[in-house]
Amino acid sequence: MSTRVHITGMGIISAIGDSVEETFLSLSECRTGIAKINHLQTLHKNEFVCGEVKHSNEELNKMAGTALFNRTTVLGLMAVQEALKNAEITNIKEARTGFISSTTVAGMCHSELVYKDFFEKKSNENFIDSHFSGISTNEIAAHLGIDAYVTTISTACSSAANAVMLGARLIKNNILDRVVVGGVDALSKFTLNGFNTLMILDTEWCKPFDENRKGLNLGEGAAFLVLESEDQVKKYDKKTLAFLSGYGNANDAYHQTASSPEGHGAFLAMQKALQVAGFDARKIDYINAHGTGTPNNDSSEGIAMQTIFENKVPKFSSTKAYTGHTLAAAAGIEAVISILSIQHNMIFPCLNRLEQMKDLQITPVTTLEKNVDLKHVMSNSFGFGGNCSTLIFSKN
Amino acid sequence: MGAYINSLSCISHHNTISEDFFFEETPALPSSNFLFVTAPVYKDYIPANTIRRTSHILKMGISAGLMCLRNAGEEKIDAIITGTAMGCYEDTDKFLRSIDDNDERMLAPTSFIQSTHNTVAGQIALLTKCHGYNFTYVHQNLSFEYALLDALLLLKEGEAQTILVGGVDELIPPLCELFERAGHIKKTEDLRHPIWDSKTNGYVAGEGATFFNLSAKANEKSIAKISGIKTIQKITDAKDLLENSNSFLKKIGLTKQDVSLVLSGINGDSEKDNRLKEFNTQIGLPIAYFKHLCGEYFTASGFALWLASKIIQKQSVPTCVFPNSIVPQNIKHLLIVNQFNDQYYSLICVSQC
Repeated sequence: MSTRVHITGMGIISAIGDSVEETFLSLSECRTGIAKINHLQTLHKNEFVCGEVKHSNEELNKMAGTALFNRTTVLGLMAVQEALKNAEITNIKEARTGFISSTTVAGMCHSELVYKDFFEKKSNENFIDSHFSGISTNEIAAHLGIDAYVTTISTACSSAANAVMLGARLIKNNILDRVVVGGVDALSKFTLNGFNTLMILDTEWCKPFDENRKGLNLGEGAAFLVLESEDQVKKYDKKTLAFLSGYGNANDAYHQTASSPEGHGAFLAMQKALQVAGFDARKIDYINAHGTGTPNNDSSEGIAMQTIFENKVPKFSSTKAYTGHTLAAAAGIEAVISILSIQHNMIFPCLNRLEQMKDLQITPVTTLEKNVDLKHVMSNSFGFGGNCSTLIFSKN
Repeated sequence: MGAYINSLSCISHHNTISEDFFFEETPALPSSNFLFVTAPVYKDYIPANTIRRTSHILKMGISAGLMCLRNAGEEKIDAIITGTAMGCYEDTDKFLRSIDDNDERMLAPTSFIQSTHNTVAGQIALLTKCHGYNFTYVHQNLSFEYALLDALLLLKEGEAQTILVGGVDELIPPLCELFERAGHIKKTEDLRHPIWDSKTNGYVAGEGATFFNLSAKANEKSIAKISGIKTIQKITDAKDLLENSNSFLKKIGLTKQDVSLVLSGINGDSEKDNRLKEFNTQIGLPIAYFKHLCGEYFTASGFALWLASKIIQKQSVPTCVFPNSIVPQNIKHLLIVNQFNDQYYSLICVSQC
């Protein structure tokens, strides 16, 4: 269990860009990608704003050099391709390479379009063969020739954090030399209507950590990291972007969808991540919070941060107001953003935040901060089913 | 890496919820091409005020999980890991239909809330107040195997002393139609041959929930030991599978001669079973079968692990799973070889404590 986990590549596609470079540009200009719905076919089109990837399925498949994949698979493939290129990996077989993806609704973006016709008009006989969660993972793995360790995780909105965590454990235990980890979710009527029934969607831009926050904006996208062992990095003289130094997974065990008022699960996830990292909470320079903009999350998470940091909470912000809440992909997208913060010494602020939350003593970063030396960055992700996960990224 | 099974539970087509049942009078031919579970008394496990809103998979999963913990005589665990390929399909189906039927207006939240794949693991955590590690694997027919691999790794890391790990998938009417129309299901008239003598296409579909309470150290309740597990993303031919199984056994300090019995995951889909059948011939060991009992489902390897553990514990092989007349004695190690559609191969070695 001695090796450090190096991050040698990353890839991302979301509402704020098709690549790491475009993502950084949008973030550093404090530009949101959340806008009127354009591609998703829904009767709520003019009612809600979403963080859509700005391309049709046809365009995405053309960009990826593929012809048939559904939106989930093609988004995942594009982010994975960028991550591998960024890590300068051309020969998959030269090392034990794994692929761990995560998703909440997988092929739903396609299934929901044909579901009614399947049962009523007796058509689309085999759509089910592309519906289940593992299929897009397998399609991407097969496309890239990865077959050492291929799996899929689904822990609601914390999914990608758990993919990153599992990948790190496999490297530390010398089961893999390197592993591509992350998550993907495409927008669907299913999730939009689902969150709408819970009445936690804001019809306008979301306002994380604002007293008058009304809810979240949904987003879509994919983000993947390449994790490599110390030996692998030395052997191939690889450039390390950052290190994954801590991870923690816990369960709030409070309610199927709501977080406990004191954020006990969040507290435990942060505590475990700090234990794995082996350093004191005071070393954390910045937290990329889960910060969905729902009344419940931001209050619960804020209180958990106050507890674990004993009222010396480091600088924090949520970047959900840029990308929207991308569900299973969120922790992957925010991992990339955390690493960009470390690389560029920048904190990307909360957008749309006007008024101090009354039940918190802490205030998020609300203007772009430059030239801040960020040695250790924490990233939180929580989901339905009480799943709470925390990752810690380090500069050195 | 290994783990001891200290208690187990199984909800399947047969009466496996009864401690004493062991297929004494079970025929070798399945009675139908869809094998639904024999349910326990769900209100013994699910709070009465929520049972009406609880979907089929949640009832099965929560009950099997809690049953396993009660069988262990303790409800305290450090981690919960589940595998489910389809997740909560009944709720997913319900919410999908309500979107279409109501033009996206005035929908009820319950089915959406309970549709996420991690609901079984989340609900067990909630009911047992388990704040520890909580993971759900959703990787097709290897979902249970990856859950098990994670459990073994977690025990090795010392991150947990006791882990509840399980596999669960449901079969509900819309899924029966989906699988049938996708051409997966064996015709009723083709059910008259046992799966090991099948010459027709298609399989018998099933469902189930199996859970295991695992620890790194044996205790007085330990039933069997999981000596190793391996997933194989793809094989080139039967010889390749044989080489994989030889190297797998070698890695855990065993040889083929140590294995008393192979539990083979053929499902009666004649053409797609071919390579595993060839492997069964080549390996030269006694072969037993299980998918005519539980049906084919994504986490059927959970049922296989339950059956293997019981065989080891009872030192007895039910007649209905073993077509050969020379029943192996003194069963020390048992090898489960599973697959689906000539893909998603896995090897699990179960040993005497």
